[in-house]
Amino acid sequence: MPTETPKPHRQTAPRWADRLLSWLVAPHLREEVLGDLHERYQLRAKRLGAAKARQRYWRDVLAYVRPAFIKRQPTVGMPHHRRFGEYPSTSIFSLDMLQNYLTIAWRNLRNQPFLSFLNIFGLALGLASCLLITLYVVDELTYDRFHEKADRIYRINVDATFGGTEQSLTQVGDAMGATLKKDYPQVEEFVRFYGVNESKIVRKGNESIDERRSVYADPTLFDVFTLPALFGNTKTALNAPNSVVITESTARNYFGTPDVVGKTLEVNKALYTVTAVIHDIPQNSHFHFDFIFSMKNVKYDWGNYLTSNFQTYVVLKEGVDYKAFNRNFSQIIEKYLFPQAKQKMQITSAKDFNRGGNRLVFSLFPLTDIHLRSDRRDELDVNGNIQFVSIFSAIALFVLLIACVNFMNLSTARSAKRAKEVGIRKAMGTNRKALIGQFLAESTLTVTLSLLLALGLTALIMPFFNELAAKTLSVNRLFALPILPFLLVLPIVVGFVAGSYPAFFLSGFNPIAVLKGTIGSGLRKSNFRNALVVFQFATSVILMIGTLIVYRQLNYIQTKNLGFNKEQILIIDGTHALGSNVEAFKNELLTLPGVTAGTLSGFLPVSSSQRNGRTFSKEPVTAADNMIDTQNWTVDYDYIGTMGMKMVKGRNFSKDFGSDASAVVINESMAHLLGFANPIGQKIYAGANGASTPLTIIGVVKDFNYESLRKNIGPLVFSLGQSTALASFRVNTQNLPNLLKQVESVWQKMPAGVQFRYRFMDEAFDTMYRAEQRVGQISLTFAGLAILIASLGLFGLATYMAEQRTKEIGIRKVLGAGTTGIVTLLSRDFLKLVLIAILIASPVAWYVMNRWLQDFAYKISIEWWIFALAGLLSIGIALVTVSFQSIKAALMNPVKSLRSE
Amino acid sequence: MRRSDLGEFEEVVLLAVAVLVPKAYSVMIAEELERETGQTVSTGAVHAALQRLEQKGYVTSVMGEATAERGGRRKRLFTVSALGGRVLTEVRSVRNRLWERIVPPTLLEWS
Repeated sequence: MPTETPKPHRQTAPRWADRLLSWLVAPHLREEVLGDLHERYQLRAKRLGAAKARQRYWRDVLAYVRPAFIKRQPTVGMPHHRRFGEYPSTSIFSLDMLQNYLTIAWRNLRNQPFLSFLNIFGLALGLASCLLITLYVVDELTYDRFHEKADRIYRINVDATFGGTEQSLTQVGDAMGATLKKDYPQVEEFVRFYGVNESKIVRKGNESIDERRSVYADPTLFDVFTLPALFGNTKTALNAPNSVVITESTARNYFGTPDVVGKTLEVNKALYTVTAVIHDIPQNSHFHFDFIFSMKNVKYDWGNYLTSNFQTYVVLKEGVDYKAFNRNFSQIIEKYLFPQAKQKMQITSAKDFNRGGNRLVFSLFPLTDIHLRSDRRDELDVNGNIQFVSIFSAIALFVLLIACVNFMNLSTARSAKRAKEVGIRKAMGTNRKALIGQFLAESTLTVTLSLLLALGLTALIMPFFNELAAKTLSVNRLFALPILPFLLVLPIVVGFVAGSYPAFFLSGFNPIAVLKGTIGSGLRKSNFRNALVVFQFATSVILMIGTLIVYRQLNYIQTKNLGFNKEQILIIDGTHALGSNVEAFKNELLTLPGVTAGTLSGFLPVSSSQRNGRTFSKEPVTAADNMIDTQNWTVDYDYIGTMGMKMVKGRNFSKDFGSDASAVVINESMAHLLGFANPIGQKIYAGANGASTPLTIIGVVKDFNYESLRKNIGPLVFSLGQSTALASFRVNTQNLPNLLKQVESVWQKMPAGVQFRYRFMDEAFDTMYRAEQRVGQISLTFAGLAILIASLGLFGLATYMAEQRTKEIGIRKVLGAGTTGIVTLLSRDFLKLVLIAILIASPVAWYVMNRWLQDFAYKISIEWWIFALAGLLSIGIALVTVSFQSIKAALMNPVKSLRSE
Repeated sequence: MRRSDLGEFEEVVLLAVAVLVPKAYSVMIAEELERETGQTVSTGAVHAALQRLEQKGYVTSVMGEATAERGGRRKRLFTVSALGGRVLTEVRSVRNRLWERIVPPTLLEWS
């Protein structure tokens, strides 16, 4: 062949391909294979050029990836294959050795079924927890990402400070969206929501149903958000007044079929035509509406920049930086807001406005952050919390780590049993790499078994977890995109992490020492293993302390003196449907035995009741520095009495005084902001609309919590008037079911046409803290699991230790040691470790939990006994776990233990 | 001799060995087959076929000389064994007999 000099091409064959091949191809074939490839490469390079040749080279290399070339030459092989073969090398690719490894791994698992069970089950528990939390976290993180333009959609937020009250709103004036689109080409589209979750009475046959999940929206809704239609055309669906778009399940509920475009629904006694049916809004969306009405049906004083009532979302064009865009809002304030403010209030310039600490800041807020990072007034749904997501992720990681540590500990401990195997393998010519490979493969195998078990466990626990976390997660999502690769890599990573220490540790044995049997003493004292135990227990103790503190805080919130009495108050929903009969209804209920007081007001100090922001001022003329932004609640004469609120000064509204229509009762916080020495008899003015009527303060009510306890109590003004959305009654009866039946029968007599719905105030109050309760319960569960797993590990370790020291114990007993002495001897080492763990864990837990508590306006202090309790608990658990084994060892007959061998 | 012992590719490779002897080794065979069939043939496939043929005893091999373009590596040279020769003739005669029995007009003509 070599007719000409091929030198110019010599070095150009891809090196990596060669490297791959020499590693892959059996040694006895390497020479001819590589030679063939290189020769072919030279031929091709001459014919087609180097680039083509290189390309083909790779394909040729891959053609050698087949068993015929990979399989190593058997030791007793055909004579003509033994060209290199006096010393056949063992390799992890040898099928026979792989088979042997698997057999040995399986025998090891079977030999010590109990320890294997502890090992696999502990790891499976850890993995299952990790998988559950992963599902939860992924669900939380994927909120609102299903919208095609999700990364370009922003909500307009406002942060406003008026007269000392800070407000964080999700709503802006109605004209804001259109103005942005008109003035700024960066804005592609906008959509507004109005009247979110307003109660709507929808007729279904003879029944009337109180529907809450409704909204008025602009026709552009479907250009901004991705809400695909099942029937009808969403492009035009909301153009005309009296049109409504409903979801598939709503259509099924009302008509029995989803194809209902063109049919009509009676809503609040008016007829609406269904113009489109959309797919149900996914669960991981920050809004859930069943009815979307046309914005054309909203009666509003349009063109208003100052009153914030519209959730407004904008889509920015591709590549626009929203943070930079935020700077434009100051122009808008100058150009549109102040001219309007000039007409209605005495504010002429920004300087004038900013006097007295007032502030108005508009900003765009990314849609995908709303669920986890936004907690403002009038959120469309209960939002999640990024803090919880990180807490849970941390818990998942720790539980998994604890489980891995268990695995490491047990494997290392059991390694004494395998020291002889290692010795013999080494004596037979195994090198260290192969041993490491063997042990890693073994642990990966065990982890895979655990993972299978964990998947089963996950499926089993899923319904309970869903209830706990108030989610509708499904195991199937584990096998879909964001998680599946993670799931596939998991056994390998965990197998390596958990198996690495035993692998490196065991493979390092000196075969002579092992076979002589002198390695045992070195195994017993392992600082590394001690460190692992400390780590496990420290983590468990941190979780335990954290859980205790979360629980105490929740308990504190629920039993705190709120300034009103939330127990035994029955709330009846939808009383505005009674119309003018509502007073009669209230009076009739008051005649029932067991009902002690009653009030009509849509405003209650719990969530899912009305709120009404209003600005008041000390002087008849509103100016920037005398306005106070407050809540203004319309109540009746009996409100303060029924709620059990206390008057601090002055008097309540009373029928004995004719002038109470222009009187107000304020709370302490408002009195403080007004700053009167004696507020009683002073006048305040309702601002904003010019013609302000003076209102006389007749009383001051003790501050009560009406927002979440995360927040401080804001100023509040009670006015006398009609507000009939809810009726609340203080009840006092032994036989509540009977009373409820009576109340319902009174309701049925009234021509309401709406079903009877009630709730209790303490329950409504609890829902405000459901998120915290959930976190409490979830972290309790997983802290429990973490401790369980750690104890499993400790138990395994204690079993092993007792086994190791059988002879020592035998000799001690023969020499006269008592049971107590031996139990102490065996338990002492472990207790020392647990004590160290507590010392490490306490400050860490204190720091973390202190930061969590900073979020609450009303919080407990972290007391020392929490640490003591957690410490005692963990010592107790460790003691019980260890003493079982040590007592067993101490009671053993020394004859038996000394006779062996 | 069982017919299934010789696959189609193996048969072609075996023929190529017979043609190229005494310079029959993977690269030459692959190149030859590429020329004849117009399709790309990798040395890996040829080599694997040669291994099978050798196991069946149709070819025998010796290590040849090393050359520079092989990076100083030796090549494995193949020759058809007596058994291989017999199998080839047998295959050929079966084919021939069948060809002869085809009535001319029934054969599809490809233009």
